[in-house]
Amino acid sequence: MLLVISFLVYLGLELAPGDAVSHMISPELASTITAEQLNAMREAYGLNQSFLTRYWLWLTSMIQGDMGYSMAGGVAISEIMAKTIPATLELSIVALIFSTIIGCSLGVISALKRGSGTDNSLTVAGMAGVSIPEFFFGLVAILLFAIELRWLPVGGRLLPHYETVWDRIPNIVLPSMVLALMMTAGAMRYARSSMLDVLSREFITTARSKGMPEWRINILHGFRVALTPVVVLIGFRLPLLIGGSTIIEQVYQWPGIGSMFIRSVRASDYPLVMTISLMYVFVVLTASLVIDILTALIDPRVRLGKE
Amino acid sequence: MAKSSLDKKFDKIREREESKSFSTKKRSRIISKFVNNKLAVFGLIIFSIILLATIFAPLLSPYDPMRVDLRSMRQAPSFDHWFGTDNTGRDVFTRVLFGGRVSIFIGLGSAILSALVGIAVGCYAGYKGGWIDVIALRISEIFMSFPQIILVLLLVSITGQSLFNLMAIFIVTGWGGMYRLARARMLSLREEEYVQALRSFGLSTFTICYKHMLPNALSPIMVNITLSTAMFILTEAGLSFLGLGVPLNIPTWGNILNVAQDILVLQNYWWMWGPVGIVISVFVLCVNFIGDGLRDSTDPSQQG
Repeated sequence: MLLVISFLVYLGLELAPGDAVSHMISPELASTITAEQLNAMREAYGLNQSFLTRYWLWLTSMIQGDMGYSMAGGVAISEIMAKTIPATLELSIVALIFSTIIGCSLGVISALKRGSGTDNSLTVAGMAGVSIPEFFFGLVAILLFAIELRWLPVGGRLLPHYETVWDRIPNIVLPSMVLALMMTAGAMRYARSSMLDVLSREFITTARSKGMPEWRINILHGFRVALTPVVVLIGFRLPLLIGGSTIIEQVYQWPGIGSMFIRSVRASDYPLVMTISLMYVFVVLTASLVIDILTALIDPRVRLGKE
Repeated sequence: MAKSSLDKKFDKIREREESKSFSTKKRSRIISKFVNNKLAVFGLIIFSIILLATIFAPLLSPYDPMRVDLRSMRQAPSFDHWFGTDNTGRDVFTRVLFGGRVSIFIGLGSAILSALVGIAVGCYAGYKGGWIDVIALRISEIFMSFPQIILVLLLVSITGQSLFNLMAIFIVTGWGGMYRLARARMLSLREEEYVQALRSFGLSTFTICYKHMLPNALSPIMVNITLSTAMFILTEAGLSFLGLGVPLNIPTWGNILNVAQDILVLQNYWWMWGPVGIVISVFVLCVNFIGDGLRDSTDPSQQG
């Protein structure tokens, strides 16, 4: 699967107009440079070999852990990845934890108080959360908390060795909270419907008829069963998280993999574009596998493989 | 001989049956359920207002969305310029209206077209099965293992930026979900008796799956079209905001918001980006309300 995708991505980039060399030359230089010099440059970057040869070379070196070099600046891609991935992970994990906890608890509350004012306003708020573009929300947050109130920095991220952990917290608060709030809405809606679904089952009625206290029914019996779809959802929301973090990173100048990706798309830095998108695909595929395993662990009704 | 009351009742039922009022009954139940959903009606009203405003944009605003007027640069909202003017003196309100045309066109157009592709493939593949189904399933799997925005960005970097390319990219990335939906419905409908009856009449595959089975799969598809319209409008706005969507010379909601990347604009000229952002949010919210309302009124299992 990954192999097929990598081939398609490589093919697509091959068909794209302009190669990396034409992007490295400034317009002023282009009028003076000769075709021979251009060809020499192409040769230096190995661009004159046939498509399949290059794909094969790239694939084999990739498997050996050598991801090649970014065409802009000639920095090793593995180095760029090593620098940007931790930043993105930091942001995403914080956002994921917060959105899951807040989303699940709000969803359960709104399911338990079904039809009430709390439920209705939470539902509307959830819809609003899905509908507001995350970058717009991020901009409003910057204006409010960073520019007007001056509580938090506008953007950026301090390097790990630069300051202590505590000094870095203000920088992550805004982007991660914006990201988390956007994702809370989805988690909440799913938690609510899954909780409602569970509450209408027979074993809840049985528990109630045994005279069990209401909170025990809800927490021990309801929530535990309702949890399964929510865990699955975390996996499904991973692409969403990646997409959201890409834009949020750009808004907050967060030096993560997302803003790197956008920069490389703008510069048609094909090796980098390709490596990053393949990494995303790899992450998504791995995550769906992990989710399958986790679901089987939590929910005994789901079996892996054939009976 | 006087008719008994039971006879009268039966007569009434037969009368209604003959005047076909029974068949419309089901539809009207869906509509009445939709109308009873306050949020959905509210959404539909605001949606129509915004849609009509963008369609009749030239009547509502005396300005040209593209005309640069440096004498009235960066003006705060006033009676002349409802949402103020932008960096080059263009009227923001006018731009929001004209931008809405493009944004809504992209959102709705890509949603409908990708639905058509997805349905066409999904219905046939789901009903027929076999190698067509296997291939279509594989292709959709490939598309779906990318996070959507990453795939869109990747394709933008390959094809370059234009309105047409963007819609094509949305269709390419969006048909997979619809295909799976249509396919799943078809798989469950395939085993129903009426399909087997149709097959035994010797009807062609096309007639069976597009004319007889498709209408039964239509309501989840409608819901999905609504929701993906909302999603495409958001994606377009996000891409254009990054400067990677529709070329900047065409006003779209995202392109208008693009100026807010400049922190000076963000801080000092709120009218250049605030109203647009609110319009996008409200519009998408309304579309989502409509989609939710449709789902509640057509799908009996989603009573929330």
